[in-house]
Amino acid sequence: MQRDLASFPLSPAVRVKLVTAGFQTAEELLEVKPSELSKEVGISKEEALETLQIIRRECPTNKPRYAGTSESGKKCTALELLEQEHTQSFIITFCSAVDNILGGGIPLMKTTEICGAPGVGKTQLCMQLAVDVQIPECFGGVAGEAVFIDTEGSFMVDRVVELATACIQHLHLIAGTHMEEEQKALEEFTLENILSHIYYFRCCDYTELLAQVYLLPDFLSEHSKVRLVIVDGIAFPFRHDLDDLSLRTRLLNGLAQQMISLANNHRLASGHGERERQRERSSFAIGSPPQWPLRLAHRTDPKPGARCFSWSPMWVQGPSTWAILHCTPWPQQRAGLEEGQPGQNPPP
Amino acid sequence: MASKKLRRVGLSPELCDRLSRHRIVTCQDFLCLSPLELMKVTGLSYRGVHELLCMVSKACAPQMKTAYAMKTQRCAALSPAFLPTSLPALDEALRGGVACGSLTEITGPPGCGKTQFCIMMSILATLPTDMGGLEGAVVYIDTESAFSAERLIEIAESRFPRYFNTEEKLLLTSSKVHLYRELSCDEVMQRIESLEEDIISKGVKLVIIDSVASVVRKEFDTQLQGNMKERNKFLAREASLLKYVAEEFSIPVILTNQITTHLSGALTSQADLVSPADDLSLSEGSSGSSCVTAALGNTWSHNVNTRLILRYLDSKRRQILIAKSPVAPFASFVYTIKDEGLVLAQQRPQ
Repeated sequence: MQRDLASFPLSPAVRVKLVTAGFQTAEELLEVKPSELSKEVGISKEEALETLQIIRRECPTNKPRYAGTSESGKKCTALELLEQEHTQSFIITFCSAVDNILGGGIPLMKTTEICGAPGVGKTQLCMQLAVDVQIPECFGGVAGEAVFIDTEGSFMVDRVVELATACIQHLHLIAGTHMEEEQKALEEFTLENILSHIYYFRCCDYTELLAQVYLLPDFLSEHSKVRLVIVDGIAFPFRHDLDDLSLRTRLLNGLAQQMISLANNHRLASGHGERERQRERSSFAIGSPPQWPLRLAHRTDPKPGARCFSWSPMWVQGPSTWAILHCTPWPQQRAGLEEGQPGQNPPP
Repeated sequence: MASKKLRRVGLSPELCDRLSRHRIVTCQDFLCLSPLELMKVTGLSYRGVHELLCMVSKACAPQMKTAYAMKTQRCAALSPAFLPTSLPALDEALRGGVACGSLTEITGPPGCGKTQFCIMMSILATLPTDMGGLEGAVVYIDTESAFSAERLIEIAESRFPRYFNTEEKLLLTSSKVHLYRELSCDEVMQRIESLEEDIISKGVKLVIIDSVASVVRKEFDTQLQGNMKERNKFLAREASLLKYVAEEFSIPVILTNQITTHLSGALTSQADLVSPADDLSLSEGSSGSSCVTAALGNTWSHNVNTRLILRYLDSKRRQILIAKSPVAPFASFVYTIKDEGLVLAQQRPQ
């Protein structure tokens, strides 16, 4: 318990007084009673009590070092992690090509970033995922709810109604010849229920986005069935209004950290739609790769106008596969999802 | 919400004074700081700062709505969700017409019919609801001085001869279209900032800006350093103001844009005079050729919700393409321009 006092989350005024009175480490403080501390240091009894509580909470003296419980989640062996990953659920999209590439679907407890050119389908994919997260477990889904944070205003309820209706029909087709369990689950999977379980927030600027993300943990504790948080798109509010680039980097990194901790603590997936930058093909607006285990990079194809996305999941061995989302300019407008050839190295 | 002063959030006055000495006055300033900085500034412990953050966040976070509530609101809403364009095949593809509450962009080479489309839509917005209109006024911001009142009357008379059978109705319609001629970026921005008051006082149901690109391309020369950033900032601010207005009042906003040519080698130049012959000769598919796209770059393309592209097919016929839409697939329709405005050719859409 030789931990230095400066590393504790005490208020600065109290800390200064403690240091002036000669206290350097946590051990010295733990021996003292609150009333003695307040007299010696010159702070009120309540402040002294609060200080001691903070210190005691942060340094447990009698608890065993090795945390066997899984709630701390910070310490576990690789074997435990492997078991966890094997039982990990995915959010399926019912598009087998996409699900195969991603190794099963959008993974829970991770952040996924989706980026691409305008009009290529990011918001469509986000809306589809908000419906797909609610697929009942007997069909392979996670039976969860979704939070949709919209910064661009491109969420169209009518389109979600179409997607949900199509999903219901698809599930009815699958369940048509199967047992009663599926039929019963489908009774709950109605249009009204699906729409009621998509929680929509419209953030008009980055302040509202920051505020909403601060409040998310409380919201998620109240709505414990949420399994997916979508932010569409994360770049838009930061691209205008913000002249200070270092502030922007800091705010975005802070957001990223909060998302990761949300994903881990509440066992959910968070997905961000993001717009591609015109010039910077390999770097993203967020910047540091390790935080995004799954990246969709952009690469211009020799064919004029075609875009392609590579999924390079880091836990799958072997060559990475490419999925190509065509978006050619006129005169031939077509959109389709095809699989390309494996083998080439993904761009940096 | 971001500019909400901390005093109104419910923080104690001493705390507000202390924060304002560090120049933290609004919620935005507060939320941009990290918890450590906040601890230093307020003198509170980590938990105290966390509680403050929650309080300030609650004051500016948006309200939650479920998708179901949005749907029932839309069904029960008195104002319609779309403004039909009176081009039946296009309306069907767009699931109703130009969407209310979002930005729709019309882009194309010069002379293709963008201003004609805008004039047609401004008439449609003034029509009564049983004829498919929104029964309201129109704000028409004209940056190219291309609006012609005579053409407005001609389209109105030819398209709806039974409705506009008296002089009175024509005068009423034309008095509902409020035309503003703005010739510089600053003027356009000021006009957009004061839109809210105009909308409330005049009962405006449609906002048209014709065109967004002309002022911007005039004033920001992208070859000069730093101008690209300024231009994008201006456009992003414009887009967010317009989106706010569109969503707040549930009205459609129509913008027109120009085109630009992407030469091979990724050098973009402005195609100022693209005659129909040049347009047709642009080849598709061979690498190294130039291709024509909407102007103002990728940033602007992300900002609009729906994009319709006009182009020439031959000397008489033209084509309208749905290039970006959250509800419609890619589709194209052939049209011509006649007395009554745009008229779709009677053939199945491709």
